[in-house]
Amino acid sequence: MKRSILLTADPIDEPALTAGRSVSATAGAVVCFTGCVRNREAERPLVALEYEAFPAMAIRQFERLLVQAEERWPLESVDVVHRTGLVRAGEASVWIRVVSSHRAEALAACGWILDEMKRVVPIWKRPIWEPVANP
Amino acid sequence: MNRESMTITVQFWSYFRELAGIHGGDFEVVPGGTVSDLLDAVSLRHPDLAPMRPCALVAVGVEYAFPEQVLQPGDEVSLFPPVQGG
Repeated sequence: MKRSILLTADPIDEPALTAGRSVSATAGAVVCFTGCVRNREAERPLVALEYEAFPAMAIRQFERLLVQAEERWPLESVDVVHRTGLVRAGEASVWIRVVSSHRAEALAACGWILDEMKRVVPIWKRPIWEPVANP
Repeated sequence: MNRESMTITVQFWSYFRELAGIHGGDFEVVPGGTVSDLLDAVSLRHPDLAPMRPCALVAVGVEYAFPEQVLQPGDEVSLFPPVQGG
């Protein structure tokens, strides 16, 4: 299985990511997930999230997850991009692309990788709240 | 470091760094000491981190570690809160 993992402080350029990756003739499913920063959290206006990663460990834990995903499902490729630094509301914070022969395994693997990422990959986020206007 | 102890370097991440008021430090642990022993030393020096211990995650190098894991001289340990990627 081909795999790539990128932590980046640059904006996630989804069209460029998609254009730069070809799929084989045996690939029947290409699942792309983009996670974006919401502009509210618990009803409170949010300007941005500041992401911090422990880079070496984050890459290592992502690698472990992708190996486990490959053991669970017949996947052709998985690509992961996760932002670090300041990500404004509306911008993408994570992008995952899973390619397989059939949709069931691609969808299942994509969801599983996201769930496990939130459990084991050392990345944290700090909310930047919209300033409260004084009355 | 004396003969009765080994030095373990600890790095704090995310808001643990803010609670400690420092990026990390060197801690002395007895030979054969465990991650749990190290956390005792960290809590003693940084009392504001002590209440976080039940939720704290620990890594040795880039792999997760368990409380009973025995530390080795030169280990680099990271201490951080639950992760929040995505």
